[in-house]
Amino acid sequence: MKDLILEVKNITKEVNSPEGLLTIVKDINLSVEQGKPISLVGPSGSGKTTLLAIMAGLDLPTRGTVTLLGSEITALDEDKRAQIRGKDVGFVFQSFHLMPRLSALDNVMLPLEISGDPNAMGKAQEALGQVGLAKRSKHFATQLSGGEKQRVAIARAIVNKPKILFADEPTGNLDKKSSGAITDLLFSINELINTTLVLVTHDLVLAEKCDEVFELSDGCLL
Amino acid sequence: MIRGFIYGLKKFWSEVFNGDLLILSFSIVLAVTSISSVGFLGDRLQASMQLQASSILGADLVLRSATEIDSEYLNIAASKDLRSAETITFLSMVIANGDNLLTSIKATTGSYPLRGELIITNFSGQRIQHSGSPPSGHIWIESKVSESLELTQSDELTIGKKTFKVDGIIEDYPDRNSSFVGFYPIAIANIEDVEAMGVIQTGSRVVYRNLFIGSNQNLNQFVDALGEIPASLRVQNADDAGDNLGEAIGNSTTFFNLASLFTIIIAVIAAMMAVRRYADRNLLHTSLMKVFGASKSFILGHQIMQLSLIVIFATVIGLMCGYALQFLLVETLQGILSADLPPPSYKPVILGFVTATFVVFGTASPYLKILGETQPIRILRNDFSIKLSNNLIIYSVAFFTMFSFLGILFQDIQLIAYIAITLILVTMALYLLGRLLIYILSFVTFSNGIGWKLGLKNIVQRGNESILQIIIFGLSLLFLIVLAETRTDLVDSWGETLDEDTPNYFLFNIQEYDLEPIDEYFKNQASIAPTFTPLIRGRLLSAKRPNSEETNFENLMEREANLTWQTSLPSSNKVVDGQWWDEDSAVSEVSVDKEIAVSMNLEIGDELNFSAGGKTFTASVTSFREIEWQSFSPNFFFILSPTLGKDLPNSYITSLKVGENKKIMSNFIERFPTITSVDLEAVINQAKGSIASASLAVQYIFLLTLVAGVLALIASIYSNRDQRTKETAIMHAIGASRLTIFKSAASEFFILGLLSASAAIIFATILSSVIFYQFLDLIYSPNLFILAISFFVAISFIFLAGIISIKGTIYASPMITLRDS
Repeated sequence: MKDLILEVKNITKEVNSPEGLLTIVKDINLSVEQGKPISLVGPSGSGKTTLLAIMAGLDLPTRGTVTLLGSEITALDEDKRAQIRGKDVGFVFQSFHLMPRLSALDNVMLPLEISGDPNAMGKAQEALGQVGLAKRSKHFATQLSGGEKQRVAIARAIVNKPKILFADEPTGNLDKKSSGAITDLLFSINELINTTLVLVTHDLVLAEKCDEVFELSDGCLL
Repeated sequence: MIRGFIYGLKKFWSEVFNGDLLILSFSIVLAVTSISSVGFLGDRLQASMQLQASSILGADLVLRSATEIDSEYLNIAASKDLRSAETITFLSMVIANGDNLLTSIKATTGSYPLRGELIITNFSGQRIQHSGSPPSGHIWIESKVSESLELTQSDELTIGKKTFKVDGIIEDYPDRNSSFVGFYPIAIANIEDVEAMGVIQTGSRVVYRNLFIGSNQNLNQFVDALGEIPASLRVQNADDAGDNLGEAIGNSTTFFNLASLFTIIIAVIAAMMAVRRYADRNLLHTSLMKVFGASKSFILGHQIMQLSLIVIFATVIGLMCGYALQFLLVETLQGILSADLPPPSYKPVILGFVTATFVVFGTASPYLKILGETQPIRILRNDFSIKLSNNLIIYSVAFFTMFSFLGILFQDIQLIAYIAITLILVTMALYLLGRLLIYILSFVTFSNGIGWKLGLKNIVQRGNESILQIIIFGLSLLFLIVLAETRTDLVDSWGETLDEDTPNYFLFNIQEYDLEPIDEYFKNQASIAPTFTPLIRGRLLSAKRPNSEETNFENLMEREANLTWQTSLPSSNKVVDGQWWDEDSAVSEVSVDKEIAVSMNLEIGDELNFSAGGKTFTASVTSFREIEWQSFSPNFFFILSPTLGKDLPNSYITSLKVGENKKIMSNFIERFPTITSVDLEAVINQAKGSIASASLAVQYIFLLTLVAGVLALIASIYSNRDQRTKETAIMHAIGASRLTIFKSAASEFFILGLLSASAAIIFATILSSVIFYQFLDLIYSPNLFILAISFFVAISFIFLAGIISIKGTIYASPMITLRDS
């Protein structure tokens, strides 16, 4: 068995709602091996995104532990978790979340500038090249198509050579043609930079491309 | 945090030109421009008005006495690096060519005047250079003296035992109102000749004045060094000068402070709105940075650096604009201001920086906390809205910090406290009004598709957002309306003091038998009915407090006293303490000018002993009066009750407004040669000049605050423009016509404007009455014209600016709007 890059133990997330205490995910246990892409599938409201947020250290569970890259991130404060994310974690979002007033290059440079990388621009240009947008580096987010925006978002996610890459419905906002291209790009990137892809999707075809598929329903793993 | 600073520094220029930082910077630039131009202009105008007041005094500070002043004071002044001059003024007959004229003789030292200008010409009208006093044995005279006594260049005249050679004509001199002799024509002689004239004897009416100029610090040190001074000695400074001018300066200073204060508060409101929009739009960026590994300190470092750079650049630009603006204003005012304006101090520069820092960080601090603590999970939830309800404590701290800062800045705790309390109460009242509006509107049944109903529905749906806009609109309008009212009433009150009917002639030495012919003359010649006031030449002998053995002979400022008696209180007088007597009162009473009473340490009930018309009598002080000297009506320090005054021998005095026709007065002088007429034109013009410049300054400074107010309203309208734009695009996309969207926005802005303006009008009348009564000493009656204009302009402005703010979206393709957002 390869090294585990992510280990989730007994994760439960509860939130207060007008209707009372709501359990979003319940007693989740899973582990991810390094370099082995996995996917989380399930219908809307099944808790996929919440689980991804907890696994990536963007949110904390009510109970349970998450060990990411050897660190128990559920025991760390926000700043410590941010340190780990900045160094070894990449993200791709359904809504792209590019800064509209920044150029494609500036958007990709963002994670490196936060970590104070002196060669941020060179690395960002390289990443844009890897997603096929080297010539559009000066374009602003509003001047790009949906597929191009997601490519920029992928370039931003991989620019710091993350050991693990979380992607939340990366094709959810794209047409069929763009979806296919983005899917191919994600899996080729996974191999190219030797990262581990954790994919959240409700697209079963996309999910099937991963080595392992976890299915969620009503907050529980099936 | 250092990495955050560096990141903020690196990104500043690209971000500042890319959107929201630009909006925030612009609002700070405008705020600093307003504040600093108010500061620069106010600073210079106040200095200028002080100079003008000093010019009326002939100095910055004067020691004045009816007896000779100890020369020790001149030595003290010299030790404090003050420049000094001396004058002695008295009335004497000037004799020449077998004729004589009662003239005010002013004997001066060479350094006179220290402020203002003494202009001397020869008889051909050419200006003569001089050193402040004529050489010993020479004299300068006013043209009235030369005309009356038929004197020309180098003629001789005699005053007492001394003969003088006439050297020149006095065209202008500064300290016209410096003594009781201000209404007589004047002659200026060398102070060394006074003894040789031999006209000053024990009991003569003389005013001795020591004049001083120097830095404020040195003047203050001098006053401190004077210590206990004899009661007969009075210290006068520029604020006391000419009585009326001092009040104009005091009130305009209050207005400048009020305008600066309101500008800062309005700028804070504008900045709050701009910062809110900035923070709203930065939430995505910050959340992303958190996702990609930014720590709280990195985020704070980034924000603090950017805000600090805004403070620096916006303040520098604002200061430059402020200086340029005040320079333009000063150029405009140059024709009116008689004195050259002194350069502004550095105070407004410091004020600009400190204010910008407080405004930016005071308003941004709640958002800094929110941004620093932003959870990265927002990215996955697409949740980029800011809720400030949990940060009331931070807002409260920011509020108290801001008002403590204002308290230190304006050094008027009472004013700041009033404004702070008003702000809290009005905010609460506006909040309740907003809640009430939403509550009422929520009962209205809305059917979709009708534009104006959609607008009302939007108000309800936006809830807190609508209430916030009502509060912001209401507060901005409140301060603007209060300032507009204050400005108008202040300028009007000054204008009224010197209006068209202000008398321009005084007539003295009118005897009982002259009354009827004079009355007839003016009725026939100029349709004027003069009012004659009795004038009793008297002398104040002593003051005594009942139940006290001690009689005061020393503490009497003017032993020579012009008295009058009156049945009713003169219109230009106001009783401020005690009571005016009944018409048929049989008690011996006297009413005293408040200032004289203070200088003589008098109390109601004290007994004053006078001599007049060969009689001595005692009068009980029953009231103190405040006198409007600027009314140019005959006014008296002491007014006797009819029981005392009506049997004393008296002449009469009157003041008249005679039109442009100079012949009326020249014919009058010919027909009534025994009556002294005094032309007040020069004195009135001097006062008019000062009041005109003060009024204009107030108008201009009000305009600056108005610009700040307009900015705050625009910032408020634009603060939720993104949300409106998105909603408009969605409505457009689902089939709403442009007209429907227009009607919806129009009705929403109209209702918000109507409610804010109505509330602002009500609260403005309350705040104005407090300010008028407490700080300007004016009686407040709501200015219905200003209130009505403000009401309609405010509603129209909010309505139009609101429509303009979403105009682009109404006409743009909804797809472009939705894609960009």
